[in-house]
Amino acid sequence: MGACLFQRQQRGMLLTPDAELGALFKRLWDPLEVEWTIFSRGRRAMEAIFNEPPDLLVVDNRLEDIKSAEVAAIVKSENVYRQMPVILCLDRDDFAHEWNWNEIEADDFLVRPFSDREARERVQLTLCRASRAMDANPLTKLPGNTSIISRIQDLIDRKDDFALAYCDLDYFKSFNDKYGFSRGDEVLMMTARVIVNTIRGFTGVRSFVGHVGGDDFVFIVPAKIAEEACRRVVEAFDGIVPHFYDEDDRDRGCIVSTDRQGVVRTFPLMALSIAVVFNTGGRLKHYGEASAIAMGLKKKAKENPKSCYVLDRRAE
Amino acid sequence: MDEDLKTSAKGQILSIRDLPTLPKVLDEVSRLVQNPNTSIEAIAKVISRDQVLSAKVLKMVNSPVYGFPGRISSIQHSLVLLGINVIRGVIISTSVFEIMSKNMQGLWEHSVGCSLATGLIARKAGLKDPEEFSVCGLLHDLGKVVAAVQLPELHKAVSEAVRERDLRWLEAEKAVLGFGHDRINSWLADHWHLPGTIKEAMSSHHRPERAQFYPQHAAAAHVGDFVVRVFEYGSGGDDQAVPLSEAALGILGLKLGDLDEVMDGFAENLAEVSSISFDSEDGASGKERA
Repeated sequence: MGACLFQRQQRGMLLTPDAELGALFKRLWDPLEVEWTIFSRGRRAMEAIFNEPPDLLVVDNRLEDIKSAEVAAIVKSENVYRQMPVILCLDRDDFAHEWNWNEIEADDFLVRPFSDREARERVQLTLCRASRAMDANPLTKLPGNTSIISRIQDLIDRKDDFALAYCDLDYFKSFNDKYGFSRGDEVLMMTARVIVNTIRGFTGVRSFVGHVGGDDFVFIVPAKIAEEACRRVVEAFDGIVPHFYDEDDRDRGCIVSTDRQGVVRTFPLMALSIAVVFNTGGRLKHYGEASAIAMGLKKKAKENPKSCYVLDRRAE
Repeated sequence: MDEDLKTSAKGQILSIRDLPTLPKVLDEVSRLVQNPNTSIEAIAKVISRDQVLSAKVLKMVNSPVYGFPGRISSIQHSLVLLGINVIRGVIISTSVFEIMSKNMQGLWEHSVGCSLATGLIARKAGLKDPEEFSVCGLLHDLGKVVAAVQLPELHKAVSEAVRERDLRWLEAEKAVLGFGHDRINSWLADHWHLPGTIKEAMSSHHRPERAQFYPQHAAAAHVGDFVVRVFEYGSGGDDQAVPLSEAALGILGLKLGDLDEVMDGFAENLAEVSSISFDSEDGASGKERA
């Protein structure tokens, strides 16, 4: 087999009365790759699913005590479980009627008879697809917190040298308060594109961009290009962001608003603050260290109302 | 002309799938985007000389897919936001005019000349963001290009009316179609979610005094059109001078005498602009295959 597709061991759960099918699934993967828990009765499995949700659930339609569609419906109706991919295992006869895939929110199906190889690939595709879709930010579709943390921890574990940049917007709240959420979302979409394309502009290097949420973004680049990356991101952002204001505010260069106490306040145009933490010589042990250092730096970056970046000098 | 023709023409115009350009600039941009070391600035500079490529890029970045329709009016910003992969895709999927290339050449020169003049006028008038005005000048006659592609029979009829009846292009359009390229521009700008500044320059450059929201942009494109015609650089489809609107100068806070400086600047920069030959035959002979 080629390189392992998964960063950690995957836990699969198979619900089938068919002992042969169970044996096949166990045989298809090294347990270090995908470890299977097999239940021959569906109802018995429900508690296990809820207590220890697997990475993948395969449900055989030959279950006698519960319909496979019903198992899928139960899992998918709960927000905390609905990300769990579900594959139904069907027989040709099951296609005598049409399946309503809006009601049965399964992710895929296998049809008997299938080859060993086909079952293996189908399951792996489903697992990969689920890990991709899992925590994308709903607005920008960039990888979210779970992916960001696992990417950082993975780099730390491998003792790779890298620079981790935390970006956020100054005065985003006052913009949102004046222009409303959908105009705020426009700015977040723009910011995401600026960061992604600027970072991708460095060819031949490994990089990563994620969206923590709200106006917080993260990018990871090799340490040696970190400062240049910050400089370019800030420059592009500062050039574009005035166009997201109405003409009068853009000309004035600030937002003027009256707070609840009736005091007139002015807020500068939005700016980008970036704090960069370096992992050189394997000095970081845990993701939490990186974010703690970054939060400290960010305070410093925020003292400047204009866009700016602060590099963690201790590393150099 | 009747409403039915207008409705069907509008449908034809807006259903445009494939807007071709001239081969020269396309070749140059294609070469640039294949080189991973090319800067966005360098690509932007070349795309800014081609009305069709510029329109495509602005249309894409302002589409709701990206989440900020109507916000971006700069080619450079568009390229930063689209990213090199998307730009490559746009370039790869752009075709060139198989026929009519000769007729289009004049229109391309007129467009790039107007872009230069409009930018100079904005600078002279001390307006913010002169680059945006250059884009306004570049796109002010895009409707003529789209009409030529989507309504070829009617376009031919307009062209004949210009020749036989000695009309200005806009007058001929109104005689044949019942509406002008300014109206076509307005449909396109709306449909493509282009920023209001560009839309108004496109739709009101013949009547800047009627511009509702951005009279300065419409007025600058109007005067730019006038300047490029004075120099007889390129062709807007007819060989007639456009009457200069006094109101346009007023909107820009310029006096007639201020145009001298604009004309001088235009003459100085024209060499650089006219070095971009849109003539494909010229290009083909230059790089004969061994």
